[in-house]
Amino acid sequence: MRKWQLLIAVIFLVAALFVPLLALTDYTLQILFRVFLFAALGLAWNLVGGYTGQLSLGHAAYFGVGAYGLALFSKLGISPWASVSLGVGLAVICAAMIGKVSFRLRGPYFALCTIAFAEVLRLVAKNLPNVTGGDVGIQVPQLFPHSTIRCFYWSGVLLTGFALALSAWIERSRFGYYLMAIREDQDTALSVGVNAARCKLWALLISAAITGLGGALYASMFLFIVPDQVLAMDISTEIAIVAMLGGAGTLIGPLVGSVVLESAAEIFKNIFKEAHLLIYGVLIVVVVLFMPEGIVGTISRKLAWFKKAPSAPFATAAPVTAEEESQRTAINQ
Amino acid sequence: MSLLEVKHVSKRFGGLKAINDVSFLVKPGEVTFIVGPNGAGKTTLFNLITSVFHADSGSIHFEGRDISHLTPNGAAEIGIGRTFQLVKPLRNLTVLENVMLGAFLRTSSASKAEKEAAKVLSFLQMENVANLPARGMGLPTLKRLEIARALATQPKLILLDEVVAGLPTSEAIKLAMLLKRLPEWGISTIGGIEHVMQVVMRVADRVIVLDHGVLIAEGVPQDVVHRPEVIEAYLGSKYKEIAL
Amino acid sequence: MLNWFYIPLQGILNGLLTGALYALIGMGMALIFGVMRIVNFAHGAFLMMGMYATYVVFQATGVSPYYQFPLAGVLLFFVGYATYMGLLRPIRGQVDFMVILLTMGLALILTDAAQLVFGADYHQINIPLLSKNIHIGPQISINAPWLVSFGIAMVLACALYWVVTQTMFGRAARAIAQNPYAAPLMGINVNRVQAIAFGIGSAAAGISGALLLPVFYLFPEVGNQFKLKSFVMVVLGGMGSIQGAAIAGLVLGVVESLTSLYWGNEWALAVDFVLFILVLSLKPSGIFGSQRA
Repeated sequence: MRKWQLLIAVIFLVAALFVPLLALTDYTLQILFRVFLFAALGLAWNLVGGYTGQLSLGHAAYFGVGAYGLALFSKLGISPWASVSLGVGLAVICAAMIGKVSFRLRGPYFALCTIAFAEVLRLVAKNLPNVTGGDVGIQVPQLFPHSTIRCFYWSGVLLTGFALALSAWIERSRFGYYLMAIREDQDTALSVGVNAARCKLWALLISAAITGLGGALYASMFLFIVPDQVLAMDISTEIAIVAMLGGAGTLIGPLVGSVVLESAAEIFKNIFKEAHLLIYGVLIVVVVLFMPEGIVGTISRKLAWFKKAPSAPFATAAPVTAEEESQRTAINQ
Repeated sequence: MSLLEVKHVSKRFGGLKAINDVSFLVKPGEVTFIVGPNGAGKTTLFNLITSVFHADSGSIHFEGRDISHLTPNGAAEIGIGRTFQLVKPLRNLTVLENVMLGAFLRTSSASKAEKEAAKVLSFLQMENVANLPARGMGLPTLKRLEIARALATQPKLILLDEVVAGLPTSEAIKLAMLLKRLPEWGISTIGGIEHVMQVVMRVADRVIVLDHGVLIAEGVPQDVVHRPEVIEAYLGSKYKEIAL
Repeated sequence: MLNWFYIPLQGILNGLLTGALYALIGMGMALIFGVMRIVNFAHGAFLMMGMYATYVVFQATGVSPYYQFPLAGVLLFFVGYATYMGLLRPIRGQVDFMVILLTMGLALILTDAAQLVFGADYHQINIPLLSKNIHIGPQISINAPWLVSFGIAMVLACALYWVVTQTMFGRAARAIAQNPYAAPLMGINVNRVQAIAFGIGSAAAGISGALLLPVFYLFPEVGNQFKLKSFVMVVLGGMGSIQGAAIAGLVLGVVESLTSLYWGNEWALAVDFVLFILVLSLKPSGIFGSQRA
C-alpha cells in the first residue's frame, strides 16, 4: 500500500517536471507553483501535525520569517541565495523558541499558543515600519532572473520531492516511530525511553526549515510582501488544511490535499469571486464530519478492508475490550 | 547486591498520603509481587520508580545509583521497563511495530529492531498477530503487547502493573507461567496485583503487601497470606477471627 | 492641570468600558470551553452574525441596537444550539484537533457567506446617542453609548454568572465540566445541557456583537480580532472559569487602553498576545479564578 503510494507520487512528480515544456500561460504555471508549494508546506507541517500529532496553527510564523528573512538580509547587501539560507536559519531559530514554550502544553493549549506566536510576529512586522516596511510592504529580490515562472515552478516541484523523500525516510526510521508513538500516547512513548520533548522539537525544526524555504520562494515570486500576506493566520490554516484534507500522518496525503484544495479554490475563485474562501470552510467541515482520516487515509482504510481480515486470536476470549476497561476506570475515578 | 532499593519513600497528593514511608529491596532475577487492594498505592509506587512522579521524601536506587530524580524516558534508558494498568497500545500501528518501538531503545536500525521485536513476540506466543493493527485486539492480546513492548527495551527490571487484571483465569495463569521464565532472560520483575492469588502463589518469589500506601507485610507468598494484618486489610477486622 | 493623573485615569476608564464587552465575549467562550472543552473558533463569526443581524434590523426599523440586542441573542442561541446538535455532537469523542478544525471551517463559511450577502464594505450606523458625552469634572469624559453598553454588558455578565452558579442548568453544566463520564450516571442529559451551554455561549457573542455595532465598524472579518481576544481571556481567566474570563476581559480592556495611550493603538493586540504567551508558559492554569464554570 505504502509502496504504491510512493510510486504514484514519484511518477506524478517526475511527470510534473515536464509540464512547463507544454505551452502553458504564466498564470497557469503560477497556479501550479502554488499547488506544489503548498504540497511541500503541507508535507512539512505533516511532520509536526500529522506524525507527531501536534496541531500547529502557527506555521505562518516560519513561512513569514523565511519570506522576511530573504527581504531583510538582501536589503543589508547579502546575495539573494545567501539571504534565503539566513532566512531559513532564522525560521529554525524561531521554531526552537516557539517549540520550547509551546510543546510543554497539550491539546488546545498548544494550538492556541502557536497561533499567538505567529500573530505576535505579524503584529511586530506591521508595527516596525522602519525595519520591515510595515503595512506598506517590502521589496524581495528576484531569485530567478531568467525564465522566472518556470524556475519557480520547478523549485516548487523539487521542494515537494525533497519533502516527500524526507518524510518517506523519516516514516521508516526510528525517529519516525518515535514521532508516531508521541502522537498515539506520550506516556507510552516515555515508558520505552523516547525523549518526547527532544523528538517534538526536532520535528518542528525540520518542518520550520522547509516552511521557511517555501516562504522565501513565495516572497520572491511576488517580489513584494506585506505582513498580512505572509504572516497571516490564513497561511497557517491553509497549510494545516492541505495536510488534513489529504490525510494527516499519511505519506502522500499533503500532496493529494494540495492538488485537490488548490484546484478547487481556483475553480471556486472564478465562480464566487471574493468569497472563494468559502470552499475551504465547506471542505474542512466535510472532511471532519465524513472522512476524519483525510482522502488518502480513508481510501487506504477502505482498500485494506477489502483484503481478507485475518482472525485475531485471543480477541474472542476477551471478556471486556480495552475501551470498555478504560471507560469503566474513568467512571470509577 | 540488590538491583532496586526503595528507601523510606513517601508521596502525597494534596491531603492524601498515597505512599507512606515505604522501603523494600529487589534482588537480581527475583519476581516480586506488590499486592494490595485498589487504591493501595501500587501504581503510584511504579510511577515513582519510573520517575513519572518524584517522591516527596526518601530515595530510590537502581544498581546502586540514585534514580529519584530521573525522567520517565531516562528510567527506561537505564533498564527499567514498565507496562500500564490501562493498556496503552499505539492503536494505529501493528502489533509488531508497537514492539519495535520498545526495541528502538537499544538500536537505531529498523531491521535490528524488527528482529528483536520478533524474538519477544515469539517468547510471548504472539507471532500470529504480529502484522495486525493493535486497534482490533482484545484485552488479553493488549496485555501481552504491553509486556512485549517493555521486554523489547531489554530491561533489567520490569514493572508489570495489573498485568492479569480483567483476564479469564486460564489466560491469567498461562501468562503467569510465561512471566516465571523472565529470570532466564536476566530480568527481575515487580508485579502489581489486586488479587488473583493463584498467580501470585505460582510465580512470586517474594510478596509485598501495601495498604493505604503503607507496607504492611513482606516475605514469601505462602507465609504472607496467612498473616493477620494481611487478612485484616483484605477482609476487614470482623473476619479476622473467622479466617484465622 | 494634573495631566499625569487624568490622562491615565481616562485611559483606565475607557479600558473598563471596552473591557465589559470583552468580558461578555470571553464569558461565552469560557462557558463553552468549561462545559465541553471545545475551543470555539467560530466564536468571532457568531459575534459578526450578531452584528449583521442587528444591523439589518436597524436598517429596516431604525430601532436602536440598545433596545433590540436581545434579538441577536435569541438568534445566536439557536445558531449555537443547532451548531452543537448538527456538527459538534456527531464528532464527540474525536480528538481536539477535529473539533478545532470543524469550528474553524464553520467560521470560514460564516465569514464568507457574510461577504457574499453583504459585500466586503465597512458599515457603520448612526444613532443620536453617539454624539452625547458625559463629563465628570473638567478632564474626564465618557461617550454615552459606551456607558450604556457597559451597563447592559455588566448586567448580562452577572445574569450569566447567576445562571451558571445558581440554576439547575448551571449545576448540570458544572457537573459535566467536572466529570463527563459520571454526569450521565447522575441522570444528566449531557447532550441537552451541552447544546444549551453552547447556545448560551454563542448568544453572549451575538449580544456582544449587537452592543458593539454602534461604536465599531462592521465588516465580514470583524469577528477575527474578538475571537483571538476571547482566547486570550479564556486562558488568562483559567480555561473554563467564567468569572475568571470576566475579570480577564476587564483587565484586557484596561491593558489595551493603556497600551494604546502610551505606545499606540497598533500595539494593543500584540500586547494581548504577549500576555497570553506569558501566562501559558508561566501559569497555564490561568491567573484569575481557579474555579471552573
